Amino acid sequence: MANQSWISEFPEMERTDLVALRKLLDGAYRDFSRSYGDGVEAFFSPLLHLLVWFEKLLLATPWLLVLAVLVGIAYWVSRSVKLTMGVTLAFLLIGYFGMWDDTMRTLSIITVATLLSIALGVPIGIMMARSDRIQNTVTPVLDIMQTMPAFVYLIPVVMLLGIGKVPGVIAVVVYAIPPLIRLTNLGIRLVDRDVQEAAVAFGATPMQRLFSVQLPLAMPTIMAGINQTIMMALGMVVIASMIGVQGLGQPVLKSITNQYFTMGLLNGLAIVAIAITFDRVSQAYAKRSQRHLQGMHGD
Amino acid sequence: MKRFISVLALIAGVTGLSISGPASAACDKVTISDMNWPSATLMAHVDRLILKHGYDCAAELVPGDTMPTGTSMIEKGQPDIAPELWSNSFADALKQGVAEKRLRIAGNSLSDGGVEGFWVPKYMVDRDPSLATIEGIKRNAKLFKHPEDPDKSALYGCPSGWNCQISSGHLFKALKLADAGFKLVDPGSAAGLDGSIAKAYERGKAWFGYYWAPTPILGKYKMVRVDFGVGVDTAHWEACISQAECSDPKPSMYPTARVITLTTEKFARRAPKAYGYLTKRAFTNATMNSLLVWIGENQADGETAAVHFLKNHEMIWTRWVPANIAGKVRIAVAGL
Repeated sequence: MANQSWISEFPEMERTDLVALRKLLDGAYRDFSRSYGDGVEAFFSPLLHLLVWFEKLLLATPWLLVLAVLVGIAYWVSRSVKLTMGVTLAFLLIGYFGMWDDTMRTLSIITVATLLSIALGVPIGIMMARSDRIQNTVTPVLDIMQTMPAFVYLIPVVMLLGIGKVPGVIAVVVYAIPPLIRLTNLGIRLVDRDVQEAAVAFGATPMQRLFSVQLPLAMPTIMAGINQTIMMALGMVVIASMIGVQGLGQPVLKSITNQYFTMGLLNGLAIVAIAITFDRVSQAYAKRSQRHLQGMHGD
Repeated sequence: MKRFISVLALIAGVTGLSISGPASAACDKVTISDMNWPSATLMAHVDRLILKHGYDCAAELVPGDTMPTGTSMIEKGQPDIAPELWSNSFADALKQGVAEKRLRIAGNSLSDGGVEGFWVPKYMVDRDPSLATIEGIKRNAKLFKHPEDPDKSALYGCPSGWNCQISSGHLFKALKLADAGFKLVDPGSAAGLDGSIAKAYERGKAWFGYYWAPTPILGKYKMVRVDFGVGVDTAHWEACISQAECSDPKPSMYPTARVITLTTEKFARRAPKAYGYLTKRAFTNATMNSLLVWIGENQADGETAAVHFLKNHEMIWTRWVPANIAGKVRIAVAGL
């Protein structure tokens, strides 16, 4: 009877074997974290110092100055009075509702995570665009990064690095970097072949071709990637707070477990406000840089 | 055989409940909240097996957590049973629900109650016994380095939004830990808190923070509860430390937490026999700890653990049910 049941019931691995396998892998990981944990921690300590320093900077600076800098950047990048006013209003409301400090904490970790994503993502995207083999290897990795539930890799990371900012940034970057890599790759691949051939004909070296032709022409797509990265990074704020990252995620977490709906909504809206600010400002910048490029074509 | 039973069940359903016994008629469908920590999930599975095989209830598990499940039981009368509910993490709503005759406390699911407190790893206390007291901790604050601020020391507090966040925050103030250089770290979630303990323990490092027992973590990693040197001040605890508004908290050990089996009033009326079982179903902390260690060693899920318990600890559970029902459960479990 038992031998025939494989048709109706899946012939699964013996439970004892499965448990043995699970224990073996868990044990191996534990040994790894025991022997290399301190080394890994030392490797990431510059990142931790950067994060701590940047958060302290944002928190210690008087709010008026931070606001002025934010508004200044928004205007300088977008040159839009309407947008700048919107940003000012959003941040004034955030401060008025008592969320300034948490917003600064979130802003600091998101900024660092975004910069890190750009620093890692754009080169990876360029490499993918230049070699089909790299593209074929990296794509499944990106799929895993985007779909693997964060806690699956977060808790092992916590065992290695402890709770706090570094595992938080790792989680955010892992989740937020794929769209940037994908879109950088796509943008470069979509650059008109004729234009590239023209560049080669003019004697451009591969590096010149990359920096003066491919990247500028791919810029709108790359900007869209950066945009997505920022959005997704902000979406991870609550997950990050579950491993002890301070910021707007913690009050959200607190309010959902206690059913303080208004508090949850306010903090959620603050996250949305940051997201929209980043989004509109970077889009305005992308649009301006595109216009500038089109102008060059016209010459 | 399975098909035969389901055909029988179908006939029973079509012809009304005339075939099945009175227990089943009263009990029929029962939903049990399966909460996401090991002892609660074990109890939920034990309840499901006993209610299903012993009392012929169509018992099924629904995922849950203290707050959402408790609220749903009050507002919607669903699920019927919460097998392990830490009453002080649901205190006000519980009181109100019982007063309004929507909820009924069947009994204590952990007969010794839950133990909460601030803990340090045992290997630290072995090296320096003074670390078992709060004075010793404060004197050696430098040992407990803050993860992000090297000049400070860290007390790992209770996860965001849990009720213990209130009490651990007040105790942090009452014990004047800030003066000794401590900062309260919010681990964000139970998983984060567990991870911080595992990290410290695997490498023999210092750790100081809030935790509770019986739990797999404290089964696996031996820890010592820090003595505040003041005993339990129940009155002050209830009036101040457990309340969000408490301007002048004074030190007190955590009182034993009452851990209950909660049912809806409707269920208690509808299925008095099954309810009778729930009033008796209780684990001692020693039993629960040994079961949790077994679960951890075997990486067992709730179902496997419940079958293990029913097969190997008959002495315990046969006291919860009448002899004829125990017989039915025993036969059913033997076939699993």
